[in-house]
Amino acid sequence: MTSKIKPAPVDVVIVGLGANGGTAAKVLSEAGLKVVGLERGPWLKNDKHYSGDELKFVNRNYMWPDSKLTPRTVRRSETEVAEPYPFSMTPQLVGGGTNHWAGWVPRPRESDFMLRSLHGDVDGASLADWPFRYEHLEPYLTKVEWEFGVSGIAGADKTEPFRSKPYPSMPLPPTRWGKKFYDACNKMGINAFPIPHASVTNGHKGRNPFNRTSFWNQYGDPSGARSNTATTFIPEAIATGNFELRSEAFVREVVVGKDGKATGVIYVDEDGAEIQQDAKVVILTLGAIESARLMLMSKSSKFPEGIANSSGLVGKNATFHEYLFAIGFFDKDIDDPVYGWAGNYISGGTMDFYETDESRGYIGGSITAASQTCHPINMVFPGRPLWGQALKDSDRTFFSHAMKIGLILHDLPQEANRVDLDPNVKDYMGLPVARITHKAHANDVAMGKWQVDKNVEILEMAGARKTIPVYLDQMTGNTCHQHGTARMGFDPAKSVLNEWCQSHDVENLFVLDGSGFPTATGVNPTLTMMANAWRCSDYIASYYLKGREMRLEPPK
Amino acid sequence: MSSKADWKTILEPVNPDSNEPLFFTKHEWDTVEAIAARIIPTDYDPGAKDAKVVVFIDRYISGISYIFASADGSGFLEIDGKHAHSWRARISDLQKVYREGLQVVDQVSASNYSKQFVALDSESQDEVLVKVSGQPKPGAVNLGTTEPATTFFQFVSDDGLPFWPAICLHVKQGFYADPVYGGNKNHMGWKVIGFDGPESLKDTMDGTYTTADKFTGDYNWGELIPVLANQSDFPVPVKSEGLYN
Repeated sequence: MTSKIKPAPVDVVIVGLGANGGTAAKVLSEAGLKVVGLERGPWLKNDKHYSGDELKFVNRNYMWPDSKLTPRTVRRSETEVAEPYPFSMTPQLVGGGTNHWAGWVPRPRESDFMLRSLHGDVDGASLADWPFRYEHLEPYLTKVEWEFGVSGIAGADKTEPFRSKPYPSMPLPPTRWGKKFYDACNKMGINAFPIPHASVTNGHKGRNPFNRTSFWNQYGDPSGARSNTATTFIPEAIATGNFELRSEAFVREVVVGKDGKATGVIYVDEDGAEIQQDAKVVILTLGAIESARLMLMSKSSKFPEGIANSSGLVGKNATFHEYLFAIGFFDKDIDDPVYGWAGNYISGGTMDFYETDESRGYIGGSITAASQTCHPINMVFPGRPLWGQALKDSDRTFFSHAMKIGLILHDLPQEANRVDLDPNVKDYMGLPVARITHKAHANDVAMGKWQVDKNVEILEMAGARKTIPVYLDQMTGNTCHQHGTARMGFDPAKSVLNEWCQSHDVENLFVLDGSGFPTATGVNPTLTMMANAWRCSDYIASYYLKGREMRLEPPK
Repeated sequence: MSSKADWKTILEPVNPDSNEPLFFTKHEWDTVEAIAARIIPTDYDPGAKDAKVVVFIDRYISGISYIFASADGSGFLEIDGKHAHSWRARISDLQKVYREGLQVVDQVSASNYSKQFVALDSESQDEVLVKVSGQPKPGAVNLGTTEPATTFFQFVSDDGLPFWPAICLHVKQGFYADPVYGGNKNHMGWKVIGFDGPESLKDTMDGTYTTADKFTGDYNWGELIPVLANQSDFPVPVKSEGLYN
């Protein structure tokens, strides 16, 4: 193993430079702190590495982790041996999931922060309130919308809670299939609106959003349309002169000192050299699966079960959402094409089915939105004939005559659904991989059924002449959304992190991704995560590193 | 070892008219071409044989030189380091899957018709493929029905696929992928289904290729979203300004 000179200690080391690591890097370096960011993947450049190549981006996983190098395993019960399965393989590179994402960024609702207060004990679920409320997050939601770049129409979503500012950019015009969605919803009395989108259509902050290719979800964007931390917050952090980015740096341990505080991290660089980076504060932002894995791998005499894990809850209560949907086909001989493959993935959506209505047979609810059916190789078409004349005929007939309405399933937390270290399977470095144990809750299945059936109704109102509803069978991790593996709370026996996403056990360790979410919410989580990462980074800069403390009162 | 960010561009786009296999034997090449012609047959529109899908598959499984086109489609990326190791293993598995699978196709042909697959008429070829796949021949997709499905997996790769699903996936890929990879000759596959794709990958990097005409031009936000009439906190737009108008 090569030995290299130990780098100078810094104020903050951030592990994982995706949506949340990028946010923390910007906020902390702009506050004047010396920050090093370590990213295990490469630093791809949008104008150099990205184009509309379906085979490369969707099938051969150019941007995604290679599941031979860094596998994950999944099992559905305690007694099974987990099998390798590419579960929630969020891209690991500078910018993380903001490279490939569709970019739905709806705001969470007030109810999302208080599910336990609203519903009490639910059989088999481990509901918990968040240690803060929507009003604590609102200023930060607005900061992210304006600094990162979000398009939308303020006031168009009648169920949205208070917002202090409108959006910095107008949305894209509706697609043809989006227009079908709006028209059907208006006939049914449903409030449809443009789902807030992490992209701009104007020159906000000097961006050039020229990409009109429809190569969007799962593709990198060569233009300045998509909001990606690799092209926004991270360059802004570098411009302060306070932030140093090291890509291809795989952190394998958070080191604990004699005083029980973290001293820094050990990483392996591109040449295989092991390097220790010391810092006053360690921030983990690897996503709820890999952050939990790193904590569990960071064993010491003080923390034999993994760092910050005196509660035994690291990895538990994992929630992943699931993308469910229904497809509608139109008649090529009669109906105009809707071009289901065109657009920046989403068009109109609704939040009308989000709040609990117990007559539906479940609690909670989900965001619903019309979205692309994608490109020719990977057209979203369950039941597409595998081969023969039927394949050719159905592709020719439906490629431009299909649309989709999907939802993000608000799954309930269960303590047994968890991430831990696989006892058998190792990654290319010989380190144990993350093992997912997951079984859907009855509430998840019931919610998926009702909401998918509602999507079918909307498709039929839109004039679809055939529908394919896709119901929940088991979680596949198809959203890349990850939460709950180090839940926040006030009680150190029942939570891993406090209200600032600061470890109860290790005061200078913060986990600023979705790991802290006590419940999953029914919206795409990235806006909520980034706003929370900003809020907690503010606390680190303004309080913790100034030797001060502030605690929130448990909300009533 | 170099980062994925620094992989060099090598080679040139694959020539779809090449008849020289890099991996297959001549007989394997002919058999793959014949199978591809049954997976996406030629009718009043071109099929997989016309689009040179066999060239696409041969290049893909010949090694690790034709895995990722460069962003602009001028050539291919030279995969390096741990990724090269992983892709070599993946391709080596696929070579074995193809070699063995093609033998099975000929064995089933021989035991049922006493001929090699390539010598059969298309009806008999389909019978052989039904036996190889272990499933009935897929039927037409009809309107006027609702057909439920369960859990859809977004992550699409060919890792671990047996021969039949692998070749079906690869034929679809070769028919519809960007022509830099050797198939979809002259955008033939795209034309069959009416996909107005880009002339080149480069055209998707600089704003040359646009699908703006596939959006709705004739709309008014106030009509699409009636609740906007009830709110007064923020200005109510009529249309989105910008590049899509």
